Amino acid sequence: MSETSIEGRVKKIIAEQFRVKPEALKPGMSFMKDLMAESIDTVELIAAIEDEFNIEIPDEDAEKNQTVGQAVDYVKKKVTETAK
Amino acid sequence: MRLCIFEDGKFSNLYPLTYTRPVFDLRCGRTRLFEKIVRSFPGVETVFFTRNHLQPIFGDRSKSATNDMDALRGDDVLFVNGRILAWRGELKPSRDEVAALKGEDIAYVNAKRETISKFMSGSMDELLGRLKAELSPLRADVELVEYPWDLVRNNPKAIVDDFESFSGRGVFPKMNSKVEIYGDAGRVHIAETAEIHPFVVLDAHAGPIIIDENVKILPFSRIEGPCSIGAGSMIVRGNIREEVTIGPVCRIGGEVESSIVHGYSNKYHTGFLGHAYVGEWVNIGALTTNSDLKNDYSNVEVYVNGNLFDTGDTKVGSFIGDHTKLGIGCLLNTGTIVGVGCNLLGGEVLPKYIPSFAWFTRGRISRGSGFRRTVEAERRVMSRRGVEMSPSYVQMLQFTYDMTKEERENLIKRSKGRAIPEA
Repeated sequence: MSETSIEGRVKKIIAEQFRVKPEALKPGMSFMKDLMAESIDTVELIAAIEDEFNIEIPDEDAEKNQTVGQAVDYVKKKVTETAK
Repeated sequence: MRLCIFEDGKFSNLYPLTYTRPVFDLRCGRTRLFEKIVRSFPGVETVFFTRNHLQPIFGDRSKSATNDMDALRGDDVLFVNGRILAWRGELKPSRDEVAALKGEDIAYVNAKRETISKFMSGSMDELLGRLKAELSPLRADVELVEYPWDLVRNNPKAIVDDFESFSGRGVFPKMNSKVEIYGDAGRVHIAETAEIHPFVVLDAHAGPIIIDENVKILPFSRIEGPCSIGAGSMIVRGNIREEVTIGPVCRIGGEVESSIVHGYSNKYHTGFLGHAYVGEWVNIGALTTNSDLKNDYSNVEVYVNGNLFDTGDTKVGSFIGDHTKLGIGCLLNTGTIVGVGCNLLGGEVLPKYIPSFAWFTRGRISRGSGFRRTVEAERRVMSRRGVEMSPSYVQMLQFTYDMTKEERENLIKRSKGRAIPEA
């Protein structure tokens, strides 16, 4: 997967946050159960994605994204909406 | 005559403290630098000049003309460098038209109305440059603050100076019999509305103690002079050792030595703060401690404008910018700089330099929650003390965030490089 695709960029940020290889990330992976995310991770992750894509993620949206795949899909949708 | 207090180009030597305030708004002793200068010229109208992003905030607070060139017209003006330490009775400028220099820096310029009109155009820097070039030079025997540790080093002298400048000092509240003033009670000022609880020791043997209005000192605190505690502050079982200034509306406990807490900051709990300058709206968690002496007793080095600088001093602590939060158990190395709006978690010795609006968690620097969420959190922090974060204040923070972005991103990249194991 290209690092320049939205999915690649989101996975790169997640990988850096949790100190894993991007290719190890699977869509069904849970931030809490599989990546052992703490509240600090969530805050840092959201800020890093907001910065990377120049979007704003409301807290209530962030709470709905529990897996890697959900986060990728959310960012894709958000970026498309913002571009309109 | 008018008085013009200006900021010269050396403000960056005093980062992170001067990201969010003019140099002359820094505290040394009970008073800030500009207050000492103004005090030297009673009744004289004062005009201030600072960086543009600080003008709305400082202008509002000081209620004085700020960055207004027109305010300099129509009268003789004494231009005074805002970095001057104006000791009581010692700032006596020449009455002649002169440019008084300390090294290459302007200490002060005394200029007649006609001379100012002749050279007035462009910015304050340009005006001062022309006056420096045209007027007779004079070697000024004054002290200019060069680096943050100069404020800490001069703090004891400044507290004594402020105490001596105080008219109507004395111990005004009715004191509980279990409060001990150890030493000369004439070296202690306690404002009428201050509240000193039983089992408090005020030790004035080594220097004066100033306790301002509405200060509350809770039991089992020991305050050693020279010391100044600002209005509305609270000492919670504090071991406040010598040479400490605590500004207004602070909550201070644990051990503090030879330090300045600018104001509106908290260090409630056990933990050591020494030879440090802490900005506003800082919170220091329980057991957080800073080193102010290296194990080999060599000079402390501090990052100044991106370079490690030998302070020439063996006792130098930390310099912490406004709105920074230090969690429980943070360990700050000798001569550490922490920027504005940082969030640091403890558990290990922190890096010696943390850029503004960065987080340090689990061994690495990150962007943390970003600017918007940081401002939201700080708005809540300020409102708890009854202070509203104005739109111009947010703009000032945004300016600081933007100007520190490149440095922050570079250090985040370097930090990631260290923290992530090779694949």
